Amino acid sequence: MNVDIALFAYLSDHQPDGKGGRYARTFDLPEGTRVADVIADWKLPDQPRIVFLNNRHAPEDTELHDGDRLAIFPPIAGG
Amino acid sequence: MRELLFVDMSTLSIERKPLPEKWHRYGGRALTDAIVYDMVPPMADPLGQENVLVFAPGLFAGTTAPNGGRLSVGAKSPLTGGLKESNSGGQAAHGLGKLKIAAIVVTGKPADPAARYMLTIEADGSAKLDRVDAWAGMENYALADAIKALRPADDRYSTITNGPAGEAGLKASGIAISDMKGYPNRFAGRGGLGAVMGSKGLKAIVVSDKGLPYLEHADKEAFNAAMKRFSTALTTHPVSGTGLPTYGTNVLMNILNEAGGLPTRNFSTGYFEDVEGVSGEKQREVTLERGGSVKHGCHTGCVIQCSRYWNDKDGNYKTKGPEYETAWAFGTDCGISDMDVVAELDRICAEYGLDTIEMGNTLAVYMDSGAIAFGDGPAAIKALKSIFEDGAPGKILGDGAEATGMKFGVAHIPVVKHQAMPAYEPRAVQGIGVTYATSTQGADHTAGYTITANILGVGGSVDPLKTEGQADLSKNLQIATAMLDALGLCIFVAFPVLDIPDAFVAIFDMAAAHTGDVWDTDELMRLGRETLTFERLFNEGAGFTAADDRLPVWMKTEPLAPHNTVFEVTDADLDAVYDFVPETAKAMGLR
Repeated sequence: MNVDIALFAYLSDHQPDGKGGRYARTFDLPEGTRVADVIADWKLPDQPRIVFLNNRHAPEDTELHDGDRLAIFPPIAGG
Repeated sequence: MRELLFVDMSTLSIERKPLPEKWHRYGGRALTDAIVYDMVPPMADPLGQENVLVFAPGLFAGTTAPNGGRLSVGAKSPLTGGLKESNSGGQAAHGLGKLKIAAIVVTGKPADPAARYMLTIEADGSAKLDRVDAWAGMENYALADAIKALRPADDRYSTITNGPAGEAGLKASGIAISDMKGYPNRFAGRGGLGAVMGSKGLKAIVVSDKGLPYLEHADKEAFNAAMKRFSTALTTHPVSGTGLPTYGTNVLMNILNEAGGLPTRNFSTGYFEDVEGVSGEKQREVTLERGGSVKHGCHTGCVIQCSRYWNDKDGNYKTKGPEYETAWAFGTDCGISDMDVVAELDRICAEYGLDTIEMGNTLAVYMDSGAIAFGDGPAAIKALKSIFEDGAPGKILGDGAEATGMKFGVAHIPVVKHQAMPAYEPRAVQGIGVTYATSTQGADHTAGYTITANILGVGGSVDPLKTEGQADLSKNLQIATAMLDALGLCIFVAFPVLDIPDAFVAIFDMAAAHTGDVWDTDELMRLGRETLTFERLFNEGAGFTAADDRLPVWMKTEPLAPHNTVFEVTDADLDAVYDFVPETAKAMGLR
């Protein structure tokens, strides 16, 4: 299945292609992959995160599906 | 003993009086509210004799309380018609605090409308009014230079200045406060208070605190201990210790976009496809490339350091930030993805003295009329300049989004109590819709920043798309925010305070150690409720009813992409947000 994954702020350095940037890459992931698997495989830092799956908050045990867009932020805020 | 500095612009007289005992626990927003409530008839003409313009630093001003140097500016608002508190960073608050001035209270207006005055408060406490008619119409940066030329080279001072928008009585005008480098780039932007300052013929205030020490505390040891705990909380929490100093406020742009709650092209969708050009991450990269600053405080004593300077393509200082709200208003909401265009619009607003949130909305509404296209940066710059230069649409823009939308026949005007909405879509973030609707200030995100729990997972989690819990969330944050504004603390301390219980304790420990009074959780919350009660009662007297505590109807009937939701919090829930007012008013002896 194909899933678009975008990483923001300093997490973008963890994109597997090493190119950084906020644009989403498309990955062919095995069925049953969860958000937490991406976090572990991409070696994101062990800290709180803000996760959006298709524009909605998603717990990290959520299973991904074909066509999903996953966006992950470190703990940040502004105003 | 703190004092009030009364400046009567009718008689051109200045008088210092002790702060009345009944207000001795008040600073900042609580004090500006109390004074306006006490002195201004609610039905007064905002630009008339009866209105009063108050500048009050918070209770922590003049101390080393971290992030404790915010300034409240209060008056009856020409934009909303209600009791306005507009809050700013910059250096003036600490200067006033060290001078033991609890508030500058500007009353009356001069007989000659062409007269311009500068109020100078020297470090020895003396104050005087000087006639500065030659400065009429002068823009803020030139004004800062003109003041600098008058000051001794070794002076330490801050400025509070009014640009031509305020002098012209425009309802979107704001008041500029100088930052640590003396740039007039921090703003009490919201609510048209520049017009009130203009109506009083007051072009500038200079506050010198040269050689003045920080204030003494009732218990120095206890204050320093609490201060250190508070500072540690601010610098170790991931949001205030890492995220904000690294990326600034505009790091929010991508988050709200991913949440589908980023108002785009005059609130017509919640997702901006060209967001990258105005994102906080891109802003940091370009700022570093051009030699700008990506980390400094807006006032002395700030340990968060979310301010930054944007340089132009030649590496020269252009403007502050731009902050998230400004990047959103001139960028996303206008369909513009070019930060240089945003910076140009921001600088123009700083020069004229205009609120960037109001003006971004105004340009977006103007674009929605079809007069110019969404995304057309040069046309947006030309339109904004037409306020003071030849051409269309002209001065009407300076009265804000509602006035512009009505003139040009726009159906979707995103305002509450005549004030334009900030950078969060109520249909995708229901909690902020409650704050926009019910705040005494008109549509104002800072009044009760539910983005914390709705989007950022700070201080718990409340689903932004559901109605449950939103009214309580907004109510509690509105009370807590009023308290922070009264103390003069930066609203961003709320991020660690919501997550770290001892940070909250440290606040009242600092207040108790500084003043010698009893401060605890109940007293802090009472301060917040009393502050809001002044505002609510004044607004009622000015004719506000429950009908004013509503979002525009189209936000309840027209679904917004990508979630295809409308604002659904019930009127009954909205009407319950200020249910504490009757009891509080009674306890305060106001009813």
